[in-house]
Amino acid sequence: MSLDEHVIEVRDLSRKFGAFTAVDAVNFDVRRSEIFGYLGANGAGKSTTIRMLCGLLAPTTGHATVAGKDIARDPVGVKRSIGYMSQRFSLYLDLTVQENLQFFAGAYGIGGKKQRVAVDAALERAQLQDSRNVITKSLPGGVRQRLALASALIHKPVILFLDEPTAGVSPDSRRDFWRMIRGLAREGTTLFVTTHHLDEAEYCDRIGLMVDGKLVALGTPPELKREHVAGAMFALADTDHRALRAALAGDARVLQIQPFGRRVHLRVDAALGTPVDIQSMLTGRGVAFGEIQRIEPTLEDVFLELVGGAS
Amino acid sequence: MRTALWAIILKELRQTFRDKRTAALLIVAPVIQLIVLGFAVNLEVDHVPTAIVDLDRTPESRRFADGLVAGETFEMKGNVDTGEEAIELIDHGKVCIAVVLPAGFERSLGDGLPTQVQLLVDGGDSNRAIIAQNAATAYTTQVGFRLAMDRAQQQAAALGVFVKRPALLQVQARILYNPTLNSHIYFVPGVGGTLLLVVTVIVTSMGLAREKEAGTMEQIMVTPMSPMVVILGKTLPYALIAFVDLGLVVAGGALIFKVPIRGQLWLIGLAGILYILTTLGIGLLISTVAKSQQQSFMLAFFFMMPAILLSGFMTPIANMPHWLQLVTHFNPVRHLIEVLRAVLLKAATFSDVAPQLVALGGLGITVFLLAVMAMQRQLK
Ligand SMILES: Nc1ncnc2c1ncn2[C@@H]1O[C@H](COP(=O)(O)OP(=O)(O)O)[C@@H](O)[C@H]1O
Ligand SMILES: [Mg+2]
Repeated sequence: MSLDEHVIEVRDLSRKFGAFTAVDAVNFDVRRSEIFGYLGANGAGKSTTIRMLCGLLAPTTGHATVAGKDIARDPVGVKRSIGYMSQRFSLYLDLTVQENLQFFAGAYGIGGKKQRVAVDAALERAQLQDSRNVITKSLPGGVRQRLALASALIHKPVILFLDEPTAGVSPDSRRDFWRMIRGLAREGTTLFVTTHHLDEAEYCDRIGLMVDGKLVALGTPPELKREHVAGAMFALADTDHRALRAALAGDARVLQIQPFGRRVHLRVDAALGTPVDIQSMLTGRGVAFGEIQRIEPTLEDVFLELVGGAS
Repeated sequence: MRTALWAIILKELRQTFRDKRTAALLIVAPVIQLIVLGFAVNLEVDHVPTAIVDLDRTPESRRFADGLVAGETFEMKGNVDTGEEAIELIDHGKVCIAVVLPAGFERSLGDGLPTQVQLLVDGGDSNRAIIAQNAATAYTTQVGFRLAMDRAQQQAAALGVFVKRPALLQVQARILYNPTLNSHIYFVPGVGGTLLLVVTVIVTSMGLAREKEAGTMEQIMVTPMSPMVVILGKTLPYALIAFVDLGLVVAGGALIFKVPIRGQLWLIGLAGILYILTTLGIGLLISTVAKSQQQSFMLAFFFMMPAILLSGFMTPIANMPHWLQLVTHFNPVRHLIEVLRAVLLKAATFSDVAPQLVALGGLGITVFLLAVMAMQRQLK
């Protein structure tokens, strides 16, 4: 078992709903104990892909193996090896924390003393030892999310699928949650996480980017930035993007001008590599500007580049 | 597999008994409904509110009126002076029947002329109207016969001859199995059948719809549990509760309404199991098409209404048009009620109720298998 063994292999996987193609001939691999981020806007086909990989939905064409099992031929085998936390972190709200965990343990065939051990471990993981008899409905969103994660992990799956795990959760809880996810990856669990938060994708080892059912980019965050965002990027303070655009009109070295919060991002030919280069380019063009900083492109830039190119 | 099945059953029971309303629906409601419906649906006819319109005001007319209300059937609510007033009383629901004795009643009888007594009957409750009318007619015939006899004997005595009593043909009805015509006895089995319907059909179909709405169905489907385990886990607890309810209804009927238990209870148990198989199957089938709890409830209701109406619970099946009678053979409620009535009241044996048991078994197995197939397709 090598470290870069593929625990998920997806080949030309497609799913149609009637005439509509929700997932269109997607190909990728996921390696053991990496965090694979599956990115895309709402309706891009993320949940549909994840539901096929979990054996919940049959592919229309193509195939995939998960933990060495074919999703179409051995869905039960797949289900035994994976944990899945749906978009809605579905728990039984009328049951207590402990009763939810007991049910999911039982559903995976964990009974008796083993069940007590598993439930205690899950309570500890979710830091809910003191709330075991609390009705789930009365827990705040972030706590429910931890409980849902602990439920999905109760049978120690080798792969964990998380569909938009941080939707509707406070930024603090989101940070805690990603800390737990990274901890899981270190322990050897493979994580397949969908999200539409581009900032969260930075936590992932590798990323697949979905646009309208198609996988348009695949790689580590630095790879994606290098491949898809050409040139050098700078952030300019105290300037107006319209004035800047007017001043630089017709200059072939300028690739992109984009307002970004209170600053403006300027992307230029890689030949202009330092703030000094930019300063000299702008001097005498009649546009005011403040401090100039060289910055790395973000995944947002990658996304804009790819989606802008597609449309 | 045993662990998984037990996990679902435990979860269902916990959810059921955590929600006070569901728990009440399943356990307390059967008893309350038995009592409330048992007393409300009173098919016996006695103490019919009656008005007398005595236009004659003679000893003979008074004797007729007193005799009429002397029994249990009619209860005197008042004398009025005109037929219009009597109709008004009927319109206002004050009385159900009015007896009009015409002016010249005594004289006309004395002259041996045909004499008429008019009955005004509120036909709103047809069962009661018919029984009241029959009772009034029987009373009038009896009085007429007595008068005729008296008269014949008087004339014979006056002529100094002996007359034989005229021949008299009378109907004597003896009611078997329920000699006091206690309608509760007939009614309790009906309550049993319909209550089980509510418990099993509504609870199973709504329970699955609730899981779909909450998204927990998907969470169940991503576990390696087989569809059969899911189906059994979601039906066995309610089958058990329904069985307890059947016991409650039979015991409640015996204790509160003195419904006899003449036959062997295991026959009721067997019919109950086969019946529950059908109704749980219908609940499952509904849940495969319904997308929400509301839809499930509507569909369950649309199934239950005709099933109850066509069960012979309230309306005898023999009174239905022929084609509708054929339809009732496919109604599990009909067969269960027949078994309950036959076993409780007539001490029916296995061979007596075998046709009903075969029908229940056939329906149960067919419907449950169909439901399992539909569910398995959906859960895959
Ligand atoms: N069961 C379904 N029937 C029909 N269309 C569906 C179904 N599930 C998803 N879709 C459609 O497929 C597309 C992708 O959906 P989804 O995979 O849920 O997107 P995402 O998770 O990326 O937001 C959407 O346009 C959605 O409307
Ligand atoms: Mg989604």
